[in-house]
Amino acid sequence: MSNGLVNTRDQQFLLFEQFKIDGLFEREPYSDFSKDIALMMMSEAEKMAVNVILPTYAEGDREGCHLDKTGQVRVPKCFHDAFKKFCEGGWLAAVRSPEVGGQGMPVSLYTACSEFFGAANFAFLMYSGLTSGAAHLIELYGTEEMKNKYMYRMYSGEWGGTMCLTEPGAGSDVGALKTTAKRLPDGKFLITGTKCFISSGDQDLTTNIIHPVLARIEGDPPGTAGISIFIVPKIRVNDDGTLGEPNDVKVGNVEHKMGIKGSATCTLIFGEDGKCVGELLGKEREGMRIMFNMMNEARLEVGMQALGHASAAYEHAVQYAKERIQSTPVWEMKNPDAKAVPIIMHPDVRRDLLWMKAMVEGIRAINFFAAYALDMAKFAQTPEDRAKYLGFAELMTPICKAYSSDMACLVTSKAIDVYGGYGYCQEYPVEQYMRDVKIACIYEGTNGIQALDLVGRKLGQNQGKNVMNMAAEVQNTINRAKAVAGLKQYAAKLEEAYFAFVDLTMTFASLGKSSSFLIPILNASPYLELFGDVLVGHFLLWGAEIAQKRLEEIFEAKGADTIGKRRALVHEDPEVAYYEGKVAAAKFFAAEVLPTVKARCEVIKQGEKIPIEMAIESF
Amino acid sequence: MNIIACVKQVPDTEAQIKVKGDGSGIEEGGIKWVMNPYDEFGVEEALKLKEKFGGEVTIISVGPARAMETIRTALAMGAEKGIQIDDPALYNADAYATAEALAAAIKGLPYDIIFCGQRAIDDDSAQVGPILAELLGIPQVTFVTKLEIDGKTAKATRPIEGAQYVIETSLPCVVTATKGLNEPRYASLPGIMKAKKKPVDIKKAADLGVSGASKSKVVKFTPPPARPPGKIICADDTPEGKAAELAKLLREEAKVI
Ligand SMILES: Cc1cc2nc3c(=O)[nH]c(=O)nc-3n(C[C@H](O)[C@H](O)[C@H](O)COP(=O)(O)OP(=O)(O)OC[C@H]3O[C@@H](n4cnc5c(N)ncnc54)[C@H](O)[C@@H]3O)c2cc1C
Ligand SMILES: Cc1cc2nc3c(=O)[nH]c(=O)nc-3n(C[C@H](O)[C@H](O)[C@H](O)COP(=O)(O)OP(=O)(O)OC[C@H]3O[C@@H](n4cnc5c(N)ncnc54)[C@H](O)[C@@H]3O)c2cc1C
Repeated sequence: MSNGLVNTRDQQFLLFEQFKIDGLFEREPYSDFSKDIALMMMSEAEKMAVNVILPTYAEGDREGCHLDKTGQVRVPKCFHDAFKKFCEGGWLAAVRSPEVGGQGMPVSLYTACSEFFGAANFAFLMYSGLTSGAAHLIELYGTEEMKNKYMYRMYSGEWGGTMCLTEPGAGSDVGALKTTAKRLPDGKFLITGTKCFISSGDQDLTTNIIHPVLARIEGDPPGTAGISIFIVPKIRVNDDGTLGEPNDVKVGNVEHKMGIKGSATCTLIFGEDGKCVGELLGKEREGMRIMFNMMNEARLEVGMQALGHASAAYEHAVQYAKERIQSTPVWEMKNPDAKAVPIIMHPDVRRDLLWMKAMVEGIRAINFFAAYALDMAKFAQTPEDRAKYLGFAELMTPICKAYSSDMACLVTSKAIDVYGGYGYCQEYPVEQYMRDVKIACIYEGTNGIQALDLVGRKLGQNQGKNVMNMAAEVQNTINRAKAVAGLKQYAAKLEEAYFAFVDLTMTFASLGKSSSFLIPILNASPYLELFGDVLVGHFLLWGAEIAQKRLEEIFEAKGADTIGKRRALVHEDPEVAYYEGKVAAAKFFAAEVLPTVKARCEVIKQGEKIPIEMAIESF
Repeated sequence: MNIIACVKQVPDTEAQIKVKGDGSGIEEGGIKWVMNPYDEFGVEEALKLKEKFGGEVTIISVGPARAMETIRTALAMGAEKGIQIDDPALYNADAYATAEALAAAIKGLPYDIIFCGQRAIDDDSAQVGPILAELLGIPQVTFVTKLEIDGKTAKATRPIEGAQYVIETSLPCVVTATKGLNEPRYASLPGIMKAKKKPVDIKKAADLGVSGASKSKVVKFTPPPARPPGKIICADDTPEGKAAELAKLLREEAKVI
């Protein structure tokens, strides 16, 4: 029976049958791991998600966060015990190196665990996620003193962390920020300014909070090139590690939001009384470059948020559709005695569910593969391999973030459709998925900004090699699938989409060099979606090719030599049912979605600029 | 203190059990296997005692190769070492044969207290702990919801209908654990990494000098009969009308009042 959150079978398929991450366990840095250990960790993650985190989901949403009379933010009460258990389990720093108190877990393995946590309650997960990310910045760029003072206590969950970029006048355009840093005689800085929308900006889960803050040192140039990054504790820390005076970081307010209400989104006022002290992290004016380490990780985590919600929404919808009895089936139209059936029997519901399944499995594959690419970059033996896998991760980051979140919004919306009127009501959990997932399209750089990052930076990166390497992967899938009898025609559909997409990409490359660069900019978002669709087609077909082989093996082992016997096995053998589903989802996506790719590419190539040409007055 | 906790691997409570076509057992494909939930209380209590008094926790399980996962889970929770009794003669063993194998494995070990779950959620027999105590010739307290140990004696609380016993016994003894005794911890990531380096002995029935023969025999597995559909009472939409209808059905159809 489903745990209602994530299909563990599909996770295991991706990790061990499709990407074969167990190959990572052969050598450093992952030689302490084995498949058994990986499975055990995934099973503990499931327990943690279902028994500890999930019970906070609706309660955290209803209670929300508030600023109390003393100026302290209170998070939902039920988060406290869950946070303690989560940290005790070692999950906060799971992917960090054992030398700094982490578990050294492969990112791909952790990603499977974090899908569970995100599906159970992403608002809760943000407190630990930001803490781990902020501590990692100190690990990478901090002095030994900073590490001893802050990092270890953050990785253990004793203290929290945030990321402070956004200001009222500096959202997408971080370079416009106004927060300033004034040199003090002892080498530290006085920080003054207001940051808004700061997740976990204040909370009562930990005794101190360490803020990495972007600010401009007085006299430094405008724009991103003049930004530095500072470590600013909520409460100052004495040299002996004890807590000292409050550091003049005040909470202006806590936002009232559409979703992730359990996550405190705060306005923070630094240095209102002129007493907020920060320490420079890394070198002066390298703030953006340093912060990007955290942002890139956070973008992948947002992709996982999207996946988790989509997955949970789908699992719920399937379960509901099997139980809800409504309407007689269409083929019994003329039978007055016909009985109403579970709605999963209705073709329209069925297609929605299959679309959701294909999408969930597709974005799961995209996100897991990006994580696996990060592992492979560490594991690689040659500089070429390292560059190749790092290139995959860099290229895919905006797609993981933006495509996953856009699609997850549609999946959660469809889940509500399946529930009918009940889906719209709070008594059922799916409406919260839709509210909670929408933010994934916005923070960590809006999806519009992600698309610009893809088109403007990522395509050309590494002289275009990253895209070419990815194209080669897709080509391989097409070739392999063409050799499988039942998949040939679907491989042809992927091939057609792939050719059109590659052609569009080349067009973009040449337009980028000419005066028509507005075409790629105008069409960055549709381009990102096309890229996502091609990748989903690629990963699903790759999976289907493996699944089809496994099916043949099972049929042979069980002597199922007729279509009838094979069909019967679907009902008896859960493995057969799983693999059949894997193949069906791939075929469905190839048949329904991929044929639209070519047309959409053609549209962009026509070079229409209507939205820009039309005057603002005409809107 | 030397503490022993017996664990059994069972199908997850959520698993949908299908009886094999020939009635010889259940279909194992697709089942998720977990530690018997009552055994988790035993393991947790064992770990707490160790944390208080020092010493070692040894995990023992009778089961096929896959049962190793369950032993590793207990080791990941914090136990020191494990013994797996894996012998085809003991697959589908009854409570007596299981307890006999456990007793034989335990006899050679130093122990101050032995934990079992009050019953296993698959066969629900609730006998392994009691038989084990008898075979070892030591006292037993079953269905324990609270345990106090002072090194030499144990004071255990055991609920009975509408009341509870508080039972004092000397050590060593067998305690069978039930819900309420504690809140089992989750295996931590560092715990999982350490667990793989902890020793687990794998033994056959012959190594322990037992035959593995069961005293009872399972003749056939049959699924429970499908439940007849429920009935919604809506004859008359007032509470009084519904209550009257319910009373009538309980008397005339169900014949329970
Ligand atoms: C719940 C929540 C949590 C958050 N957590 C954090 C946090 O922890 N730390 C932090 O620093 N920030 C955080 N943010 C801020 C978040 O990152 C910003 O809201 C986001 O970057 C967008 O900035 P903005 O809201 O000012 O929108 P704007 O920048 O005003 O954007 C509005 C619209 O204009 C578009 N746009 C803007 N510029 C361009 C351009 N050049 N080209 C094309 N389109 C453009 C955007 O895509 C968007 O559609 C959080 C926000 C929310 C709502
Ligand atoms: C806020 C709100 C206000 C409302 N206001 C009113 C009102 O004023 N008056 C009133 O009478 N009702 C009202 N409704 C009820 C609303 O019209 C129903 O919720 C709606 O008709 C769907 O019925 P259902 O919720 O029982 O879903 P179901 O009928 O259970 O449908 C569940 C899913 O199954 C699908 N499905 C069901 N049967 C078939 C079929 N034969 N073929 C294909 N797919 C099928 C549906 O499309 C849907 O996706 C309201 C509902 C809400 C949430």
